[in-house]
Amino acid sequence: MEKRMKIKPSTLLIFLAAAIFVIVIPNTNEGYSMMIVNLGLIYAIATYGVSVMLGMGGQLSFATVSFMGVGAYITANLCSGRNGINMNTALALVIALLASALLAFGAGLILFRLKGTYFTFATIGLVQVSWSFYLSYKPLFGGPDGISNISTLNLFGFSPKNYNDWFYILAAFVLVIAFLVERVRRSQLGRSLAAIRDNEIAAQTLGINVYMTKVVAFTIAGVLAAVAGSLYAMHSQFVSSDMFTYERATTYIIMAMLGGVNNTAGIFVGSVLVTMLPEWLRFMQQYLQLIYGIGVILLMVFMPMGLAGLASGFAKSLKRKLYSKKKVTAGKEGPKQ
Amino acid sequence: MKPILRLDKVCKRFGGVVAADDVTFSVLPGEVHGLIGPNGAGKSTLMNLISGIYTPDSGKIFLDEQDISDVPSHMRARMGIGRTFQTPRFLQRSSIEDNLLLGTDLANQFGYLKSYFGKKGSDFEKELKELMKFVDFTFDWEDDISALAYGQRKQLEIVRSMLSHPKVMLVDEPAAGLNNKEIDDVMALLNYAAKERGIGILLIEHSMDMIMNICEDIVVLSFGKVIGTGCPAEVSSNEAVIEAYLGRDVNA
Amino acid sequence: MNINTIVSLSVNGIAMGMIYALMAMGLILLIRAIGVMNFAQGDLLMFGAFVTCALTVDLKLPLWIMIPLALISFAVIGVIFMFTVYWPLKDATYPTATVISTMGAAMALKEIATLIWGSLPRSMPPLMKNPKTGKAAVLNLFGIKLQWQFVLTIIVGAVLIWLVFVLFEKLYAGRMMQAAAQDKYAAELLGIPTILTTAATYIIVVIMVSTGGYMIAPIFMVSNTLGSLQLRAFAGVVIGGLGNIKGAIIGSLIIGLVESFSTIQFSQYKDAVVFIVLIAMLLVRPQGLFGEKVADKA
Ligand SMILES: Nc1ncnc2c1ncn2[C@@H]1O[C@H](COP(=O)(O)OP(=O)(O)OP(=O)(O)O)[C@@H](O)[C@H]1O
Ligand SMILES: [Mg+2]
Repeated sequence: MEKRMKIKPSTLLIFLAAAIFVIVIPNTNEGYSMMIVNLGLIYAIATYGVSVMLGMGGQLSFATVSFMGVGAYITANLCSGRNGINMNTALALVIALLASALLAFGAGLILFRLKGTYFTFATIGLVQVSWSFYLSYKPLFGGPDGISNISTLNLFGFSPKNYNDWFYILAAFVLVIAFLVERVRRSQLGRSLAAIRDNEIAAQTLGINVYMTKVVAFTIAGVLAAVAGSLYAMHSQFVSSDMFTYERATTYIIMAMLGGVNNTAGIFVGSVLVTMLPEWLRFMQQYLQLIYGIGVILLMVFMPMGLAGLASGFAKSLKRKLYSKKKVTAGKEGPKQ
Repeated sequence: MKPILRLDKVCKRFGGVVAADDVTFSVLPGEVHGLIGPNGAGKSTLMNLISGIYTPDSGKIFLDEQDISDVPSHMRARMGIGRTFQTPRFLQRSSIEDNLLLGTDLANQFGYLKSYFGKKGSDFEKELKELMKFVDFTFDWEDDISALAYGQRKQLEIVRSMLSHPKVMLVDEPAAGLNNKEIDDVMALLNYAAKERGIGILLIEHSMDMIMNICEDIVVLSFGKVIGTGCPAEVSSNEAVIEAYLGRDVNA
Repeated sequence: MNINTIVSLSVNGIAMGMIYALMAMGLILLIRAIGVMNFAQGDLLMFGAFVTCALTVDLKLPLWIMIPLALISFAVIGVIFMFTVYWPLKDATYPTATVISTMGAAMALKEIATLIWGSLPRSMPPLMKNPKTGKAAVLNLFGIKLQWQFVLTIIVGAVLIWLVFVLFEKLYAGRMMQAAAQDKYAAELLGIPTILTTAATYIIVVIMVSTGGYMIAPIFMVSNTLGSLQLRAFAGVVIGGLGNIKGAIIGSLIIGLVESFSTIQFSQYKDAVVFIVLIAMLLVRPQGLFGEKVADKA
């Protein structure tokens, strides 16, 4: 039995592409276009949560925006000088993270008493509730005007002066989170989620606590969304409720599906692409949403596993041509079927 | 010897159908215990009751003399009840490796945090190699499970269950859909599991060949009722059993 | 709060509940036929409102021509929707793909409506006008003043729901359609072409939903945001118990009433109240009002 290769060529390729991205983008963009790229990076963080829930666990949740709101508004309240508080932003990020973990865990315990489509509907309910409050409750969420004057991130004395500085910080965040999420996929949690996605009964008989495992995934997704929300608040220095609507929630799901819902590199590509697309297609602004909608249908018809699915299919056929298969050979030799 | 698995007056009905009617029997460690009966007799239902997917209407189930009737299904798996399904249940969209690692995960019982931080448990590759000696096919680690033929999947499901180090293994119709060579391999694997690993095996099978060959003890079920028990020779000369099977032939 | 307010709030609530019920019932028929949620349900309603608005306001057609024309357009929309959004995905290995594709359809519908009819909300005259003032007619019931449009919405909704209910639960054709939906393989063996039964389901669903759009068009403005009403229909489906038509109708009416009465106290948080009720309800009865707990078959 052969050992598998530790580093695969595809992994190297991904790192190479990431390095080029990090070097080229900030040297060719600034100001507004850099800001758009940065937003793509922030959305990617939230979309990693979708990947954990939907890609690994097969649970369709809209709650991303609710928890993004938790992160964004906690940061906004702690770092904008309203209510007289002006806290260190890094500390606010940590507080947002912890608070969202608690909230998401609690919400997960409640929502996962429901299964499948019921669960999905309940998350839509959660989005409507949270959005109503974000929109209307002034003391905490600023009402329709939102909250402005939020301080920018200050990471151990380093504070981004412009969007290009922000880019490096966000790229680092995305890289670390992508790494952590990829590890989830390769650990027992990832496998358990896959088991739940494909067959809950088989999962139970393999000793998996289906309910708690879903709750853990929901918590992870909530925390990632909140981190994205918190970074969004510091990056834009402004938050308002229209970031946290049901329509926005579908966008995160589409980002994940475009890139490849169960693929770490794909999630990143999907998020950045969906964010950039409106900018690139500006000349046909009028038809943009239409193209987008039709594009989503076509995507689902022709490549439901997203760009990553396309790439891996291509890689597999390439590999088949290049090498004969690495196989696990059993002790017995015999005719192969 | 103390039984590893014991059912005591277990009953289960679905609407008007009585799928288990006062079922009592026990399985010893290291034995292959046959569970036979005509289609719809309630055999699979019994396995679902034992593994906790259904809850019995009345009666008790004991694992190692501990009452597990109220223990949830995943906890029963962790306590040592392994099983395979009549139609194999794998993760359709995961690699073969991930599918098999689920068995090892169950053996390790680390919890998600320990596993996340890379704690090493039982030696997956060595153990798998040991078990793969009994089956006769090769595969690519990274292939999806769909790359395997039906018969291969059924065999791999037993392998996965054994990777989880169960005390009792419930095996539902392993020979259905397999060719003769594969059936021999499965019998060798089950024999190894019972004799070398001391696992108590409850085996549902329609192939009388297989049952008569490897079972020490047999329970016969018909309409949810136990209508005969004993060694293969006793069962095959039992009037009630012959009748149940003849009746089935007449209906078929 | 006097009896007057209570009655008129109830009528408003039940009228809106009927609209949600039309969508909810359509959702369930689709779930039964194709097994997935339709996230474009609200935008189909929006589209129906625009189509009828165009026929009535732009073309100034009298009712007796407008109605058959509208029904034909709805049927055509239903067939197009089925062949673009569902049919190519019917064998998808990834069930979520079908759901996401309806989300794409929702966006596309919204945008097509905007491209054709512009982004400004349009107003639609009520079905019954006061001949003197030209404003919406008011029904005076023992001194309680009710908007005729709400009353008509309740009547039209109830009749439509009853018709579809009879078709699916009582008549042979409807039962056959459901049987075909439940067991595609057996249906094909029996010579029931699934393509026809599925298309018929889509046509019926779009007609129901679009008619809902027509009825509320005079109440709200006709705009591309009408689609968000579908979220209330989802709530109705869940409260009633997934897959249960009676439950979905009652659930939708409850949602309509809760929404209507919550405007007294917290009109800003209307949405929040509706969905808090939904979540609370699910906690008490996760299977919904009329849903049964079904064990997974192992
Ligand atoms: N979840 C369920 N709901 C309703 N009835 C069920 C359920 N599970 C099993 N049954 C019924 O219980 C009876 C026993 O079924 P079971 O699957 O246990 O039979 P079996 O002995 O395994 O048959 P086979 O040899 O065909 O696998 C059958 O009549 C079946 O229809
Ligand atoms: Mg069976």
